[in-house]
Amino acid sequence: MDNIFTIKSGDISRTMLVAAGQNAVESLGRRVCGFDVFAGDGFVRNMLIEENAVADILVLVLPGQDANLDLRIEMAGQGASCRLFGLYLCPDNERLSVNVGLVHKVGRCKSHQLFKGIVSGTSRTSFYGRIVVDSDAQVTEAYQENHNLLLSDTAKVDTMPQLEIYADDVKCSHGATIGKLNEDEQFYMRSRGIPESEAKVLQMVSFISPVLDILPDGEEKTRLASYVEHCVRTGF
Amino acid sequence: MQEDKDILKEITAQEYEHGFVTDVEQEFIPKGLNEDIIRLISAKKEEPGWLLDFRLDAFRKWKSMKMPEWAHLDIPEIDFQDIIYFAAPKKDRPDKIDPELEATFEKLGIPLHEREALAGVAVDAVFDSVSVKTTFRKTLAEKGIIFCPFSEAVKEYPELVRKYLATVVPPGDNFYAALNSAVFSDGSFCYIPKGVRCPMELSSYFRINASGTGQFERTLIVADEGSYVSYLEGCTAPMRDENQLHAAVVEIVVEKDADVKYSTVQNWYPGDAQGRGGIFNFVTKRGICKGEGSHLSWTQVETGSAITWKYPSTILKGDNSSSEFYSVAVTNNMQQADTGTKMIHIGKNTRSRIISKGISAGHSQNSYRGLVRIESRADNARNYSQCDSLLIGDKCGAHTFPHIVNSSKTSVVEHEATTSKISEEQLFYCNQRGIGPEDAVGLIVNGYAQEVLAKLPMEFAVEARKLLQVSLEGSVG
Repeated sequence: MDNIFTIKSGDISRTMLVAAGQNAVESLGRRVCGFDVFAGDGFVRNMLIEENAVADILVLVLPGQDANLDLRIEMAGQGASCRLFGLYLCPDNERLSVNVGLVHKVGRCKSHQLFKGIVSGTSRTSFYGRIVVDSDAQVTEAYQENHNLLLSDTAKVDTMPQLEIYADDVKCSHGATIGKLNEDEQFYMRSRGIPESEAKVLQMVSFISPVLDILPDGEEKTRLASYVEHCVRTGF
Repeated sequence: MQEDKDILKEITAQEYEHGFVTDVEQEFIPKGLNEDIIRLISAKKEEPGWLLDFRLDAFRKWKSMKMPEWAHLDIPEIDFQDIIYFAAPKKDRPDKIDPELEATFEKLGIPLHEREALAGVAVDAVFDSVSVKTTFRKTLAEKGIIFCPFSEAVKEYPELVRKYLATVVPPGDNFYAALNSAVFSDGSFCYIPKGVRCPMELSSYFRINASGTGQFERTLIVADEGSYVSYLEGCTAPMRDENQLHAAVVEIVVEKDADVKYSTVQNWYPGDAQGRGGIFNFVTKRGICKGEGSHLSWTQVETGSAITWKYPSTILKGDNSSSEFYSVAVTNNMQQADTGTKMIHIGKNTRSRIISKGISAGHSQNSYRGLVRIESRADNARNYSQCDSLLIGDKCGAHTFPHIVNSSKTSVVEHEATTSKISEEQLFYCNQRGIGPEDAVGLIVNGYAQEVLAKLPMEFAVEARKLLQVSLEGSVG
């Protein structure tokens, strides 16, 4: 199914796309921190962001859920801005594919993408993110990051961030990493009496916490954050 | 700013320095590509049967393959039947070099005499389809180093060639590698024996001269255990309105604890400002770090060619082996480049580092494309990639297409890329201190590329710096 969302000029849209079991989604509710919650395992979205409109999107892929995400975002009016943050936790045998295409059609827009994932077991994740800056889109800022923690030799992480830039007055960057938990940090914590398993949970929670920063602070955010922490603690 | 533009235009419009044609009598074989042509090439080079079979096998593979289309390039249709696959200057006396040829290489700054001035470099000069001269062979032979034209190696050292040929780039590897395997003419063969440190830089210089031809050279470098060699490659071609195809294959085998440094300064004719003519540079370069602790370093400065399709790669098979890729790719006018590297980590504790600097000006398109792949048994593998793009002018494009695949939990891979232009603040800062706009651009670009230029052997670094200046300066605006 192809949903086309137009975010009209000056509007603000906040969307949360959640891939998780039915219980999890029900306990989250229909609206969290001002974000409209959509649940499922496949998300195909076409979004058009008009002048001075704002789109904030948070993607949550929780343990035990295979998911496909296919997002097309077009920055269609000057001054539009988009934040696309995503988090995926794949501890067992999940299959995840993320495909993001973001096009800057006009100038003076900002886009910021941040995807973080923890992958273990025999999971497979692939991230394909493409930013296109058209030649008319001068004074563009576009950033994309994809960071992964790979915790087993039988899991596989695949990432392809892509930048296609046809304008010159731009600030664009992307970064991608696939790595492991820092052993020095673990040593620091363990030498202060924190058990190894707890130290690892703390590391993972701090690794993913920047993604949740898209949410406004408050009780609801704290509740969601502690739910995510619970998923990390029981999943990995 | 108008003044800047004028200066830039002036410099950008600078003529391609090596665009002359040498008037020597040459022999050609008929146009086209079929099994008879391949037999003819093989016969001309007096090759043994196994090599002819190798060529024919590759040709059959090639026929079933399609031109790759995944690159971010706009390649006009190439009629492979409209190319002359073999052209060689005629020789009256076998031991003597045509003075005309000698003068050509002299003009290109590649002396065929073993002189004091370039005493540190041994050169294999390839003119269209044949090697004209290889210098310092005696000095090298004393150390047991073999450095000679490929066709000669086939005759003199058939066991070595057979042992290593196509072990890194198999004949059916890709469309252009298959084409090369079928019709390759000359190139360099280089073997460094166990424990020998090559006392001078080895160098190949490729020159396309004849019209309507393509150049399909093949280079094979083998560094045996504990040896070291630094190898340089340079190339130029005349200015013509037609596009000429250059499809080379370079294979490098690095055994245990050996160290190979491969540097390229690519300056094929890029075509004119309207995009007419220029070389299509479709090259397959790959090395394998076969043994433990081996090391391979690629350095490239790409300023020429109408279209570049080139991905020097390393397979890190031996434990503790390491590889680096340093690249500066400059595109101007209508040039297109899709270049990068592949690092395949198989052995434990393997390390790789990628530094790529793209500079695009005019109406050009410049892409970095790279693959870093870490297999699950590659414990503690480490990769760091950095790809920066610099845009000069608002009509050009800069693109980054990295691909990272990791399935080892103890390994760490990092990639980062940025794209920006030379800011007015930077120019203003220089201008304010009495540095003219043209020098300022040169200064900024040189600083930007410094990390890569510093890796070039001294003789090449000077050349590359000049080239960068000529290819780019004044494109700001």
